[in-house]
Amino acid sequence: MDKTEIRVGGLGGQGVILCGMIIGKAASIFDGKHATLIQAFGPEARGSACSAQVSVADEAIGYPYVKNPDVLIVMSPDAYTQFAPQIKPGGVLLYENELIKVDDRLPAGVKAFGIPATRLAEELGRRLVLNIVMTGFFTGVTGLVSSEAVEKAVKTSVPRGTEDLNLRAFRKGYEYGREVLVKAS
Amino acid sequence: MKFEGFPQDLTLKDGTQIVVKPLEAEDAPALLAFYRAVPEEDRLYLRDDVTKPEWLERFVARVNTGEVVSLVAEQGDAVVGEASLYRALHGWTAHVGEIRISVQPRLRRSGLGTALARDLVKVAVGLGVEKMIVQMVESQKSARRLFEKLGFRQEAVLRAHVKDIHGIKRDLLIASNDVSHLWEAMEALVSDFSPTVG
Repeated sequence: MDKTEIRVGGLGGQGVILCGMIIGKAASIFDGKHATLIQAFGPEARGSACSAQVSVADEAIGYPYVKNPDVLIVMSPDAYTQFAPQIKPGGVLLYENELIKVDDRLPAGVKAFGIPATRLAEELGRRLVLNIVMTGFFTGVTGLVSSEAVEKAVKTSVPRGTEDLNLRAFRKGYEYGREVLVKAS
Repeated sequence: MKFEGFPQDLTLKDGTQIVVKPLEAEDAPALLAFYRAVPEEDRLYLRDDVTKPEWLERFVARVNTGEVVSLVAEQGDAVVGEASLYRALHGWTAHVGEIRISVQPRLRRSGLGTALARDLVKVAVGLGVEKMIVQMVESQKSARRLFEKLGFRQEAVLRAHVKDIHGIKRDLLIASNDVSHLWEAMEALVSDFSPTVG
């Protein structure tokens, strides 16, 4: 069975769980695959480390925990420090490149792609949508879920009235991801 | 700037077909023609002399910087209505947007003003605006009803603040719509916190 394991890491308030939830929702509800989500919170409402583990597969998933992700999405330096060494060799790292410096802790063959997601979110009007920019970046770089499915998942997951900005955030991240991929090839 | 859902086809109550879309440079001459055709009495409600090409030049420049978002309603090649959102890009009122709407007299009470206002409110929320305001003269009763339906409530009255075409001083009403709760909901959604999950 072909299963892709994803971990999303960051700080409370960055929308880490929502990012994982949207990826899983897009894959399972709108792309017809199977997905699981495990979430871990710190004790504080803001600023504590948190992470989401998402598995996506064509068949039912028997074990939802992710130890060595194929794809790691990180939004804070602490999450990078903690989770980067666990990426599978040859896996993909997607990181917020104005908050995180990539160093030599990455396993062999890991491809790293950065995006200034916080700045892009601020330019769109709201720092809050940083996680949606990252979700778009993930979609653009990995192609694991279709952009149409993720757009639908974004639209149906965010509060009513905020869909427009969230969709623009998604597209900004998606286009950035596509460009980064072209430059890297 | 691109916005979700535009251009938008609209059928008014009388069957008139309208297209609503964000203003583009090529729409500028039609916009000027629209404002030049607005009756003088109605133009008194506007803050700028919208009949001058210099105004148009400044307006388009502000649209390009993002300081103004303008939606135009077009019937064929003619502009028949316009809605603008004015916002400060910096400073202590950067979260506030001011809405101004003008509709061709023959299309008033056709639903066009309501459609433009609704679209602009949606665009404003999408831009992260937390509070919207609109200024109206006390006599603009239909405009007051329109904005009340969209959630605006009277916040201030400036007594005898404006003079109409006959020199009569009238009260200026400021109505507002605080939409920050939408973003509070988003903030709660991204809080990554659950008191029951450790």
